[in-house]
Amino acid sequence: MGSPNRKLIVKTLLSGAWLLIASVYLFPYVWMVLTGIRRPVDTLTMPPRFIFTPSFEGFTALLREVKFQGYLLNSIVVATAVTLIVAAIAGPAAYALAQLRMRGRLFLASILVARMVPGIAIVIPIYLAASRLGLLDTYGVLIAIYTAFNLPFAIWLLRGFFGEVPGEVREAAIIDGASEVQVFVRIVLPLVSTGFVATGVFVFIAAWNEFLFALALTNAHSATAPLAIIGFRNEYGVQWAEIGAAALLISSPVVLFAVIMQKYLVRGLTMGSVKG
Amino acid sequence: MSSGILKSHPAPSLASAPFLRARRRRAQQQRQAFWFILPALIVLLFVYAGPMLYALQASFTHWVLTDIGSENDPAGLSNYTDVLQSRDFWSAVRVTVTYALSSIACGLTLGTAFALLLNLDFFWRSFFRSVMMIPMVITPAVIGIFWKLLYEQEGGVFNYFLTSLGLPPVAWLDLDHSLLSIIIMDVWQTTPFFMLVILAGLQAIDENEIDAARVDGASGFQLFRYILLPHLLPYMLIAAAFRSIAAMGDFDKIWLLTAGGPGDRTTTITIFTYKTGFFAFDIGRTAAIAWIFVVIMLVISAPLMRHLFKTSIAER
Repeated sequence: MGSPNRKLIVKTLLSGAWLLIASVYLFPYVWMVLTGIRRPVDTLTMPPRFIFTPSFEGFTALLREVKFQGYLLNSIVVATAVTLIVAAIAGPAAYALAQLRMRGRLFLASILVARMVPGIAIVIPIYLAASRLGLLDTYGVLIAIYTAFNLPFAIWLLRGFFGEVPGEVREAAIIDGASEVQVFVRIVLPLVSTGFVATGVFVFIAAWNEFLFALALTNAHSATAPLAIIGFRNEYGVQWAEIGAAALLISSPVVLFAVIMQKYLVRGLTMGSVKG
Repeated sequence: MSSGILKSHPAPSLASAPFLRARRRRAQQQRQAFWFILPALIVLLFVYAGPMLYALQASFTHWVLTDIGSENDPAGLSNYTDVLQSRDFWSAVRVTVTYALSSIACGLTLGTAFALLLNLDFFWRSFFRSVMMIPMVITPAVIGIFWKLLYEQEGGVFNYFLTSLGLPPVAWLDLDHSLLSIIIMDVWQTTPFFMLVILAGLQAIDENEIDAARVDGASGFQLFRYILLPHLLPYMLIAAAFRSIAAMGDFDKIWLLTAGGPGDRTTTITIFTYKTGFFAFDIGRTAAIAWIFVVIMLVISAPLMRHLFKTSIAER
């Protein structure tokens, strides 16, 4: 009895329900975006105004007074360097674990343990060591630490992807006379490009969003973007437009990146968590 | 050519040659594997093992950063006994456990509900899936700062909605509500993680099984309870285990929303460690807290680690 019609009605109702769920759930995010592009007067008016003349006062203040572009540049440099270095170090390690029948039980176990160690447990000794070596507020120390922090997860994730390449591929190439390094670079690596993209997405987002070590180890020279947001709530009150604009500028790159790369994000999530 | 002859007609005297060759090749492979993992090993030793050992050594001293020469003042186990006997530490443990458990319970429930709803057939499904995962990737520091504005007692938008619904405004960040407020904020951020993992679980279900149950007249609830739930349980457990490790280590959001206050109502172990280190400059004590924390984390994550270890060994 009008079954296609009923199906259409159910689909429409469900879509309506999802529109409601998404609007309620994402309200804090929408509010954040709106705060960035309106005048403080419009933000503070109740009832909330959803229609207003957009204003970019916050952005201009950020760029002029706080030199926000410097923070952004630091974030881009650090996150990009970390992503590339992690891929270069984790790739071979993951390959060895998955394909070379390495008896790396100890290595495997130490990766797992390293992954469970919370950042706060090593931030103080690292801070002390960095200050003694004169490395505070440099790109190098931040890059080194983010690299180390992302390595266990990256190796784990890539190990899963390398494990999906049949062992015969490698053996056939070895029999043809290729060296272990040649097999890795020329034959196996291209087969796991998806894995590298998925891992890179996670590492980039993690490095971009990191706050604790950046707070402890950086200052004027190498502070990353998340640190730029903490100064706008002071004795003069809350600088709404600046906070909103900074929130948008800091989070938009990762939000856009994640939405564009969501296929890889989901792939990495299932590989990293569900498949062990 | 000659090796082909050997393979097909092995002379009795050379019977063990292929075996020896295989063994030699395996030994060579092991050596090469070592070079492949060496860079990772070096980084992990320098950035994990090094600082951890440094902290271990410091934890047996009365080292206070503002007190020059105190780094050589031996303390024995007193930092550890002091921490384990302090009310502040156990309060931090209680806050951390409450925060992690409540946040995971709510995030898992909400995430499962969202996943079940997303798995239905409706318009713009992939659009909704994309936007629903946004909170998961927003910079936690930004969330902490921004939610403080949302929670504002006067002029905060949450209280505006409450009062316009005829409800009394809530003092979100006071003694009674601050823990609840950081939990709500965390649930908001982490629900998409659970949603995506459960969704992956749902998409791995054999459709035939569901159809068969439907034909047998199973109700929606029965379908969920007896078919979907047993299938999803491993996904839920793994997601919850990973989240609990991450939640116990959370710092950014809590620090920027409440800084552990008021009083010590939202002082988790991470916040407690940070305060002891960077405000009291008591390095010996901080190192002891850090080590106790690491041990707690390893004990809690032992089942997860054992599971991951076993499955990864079995795969090979």
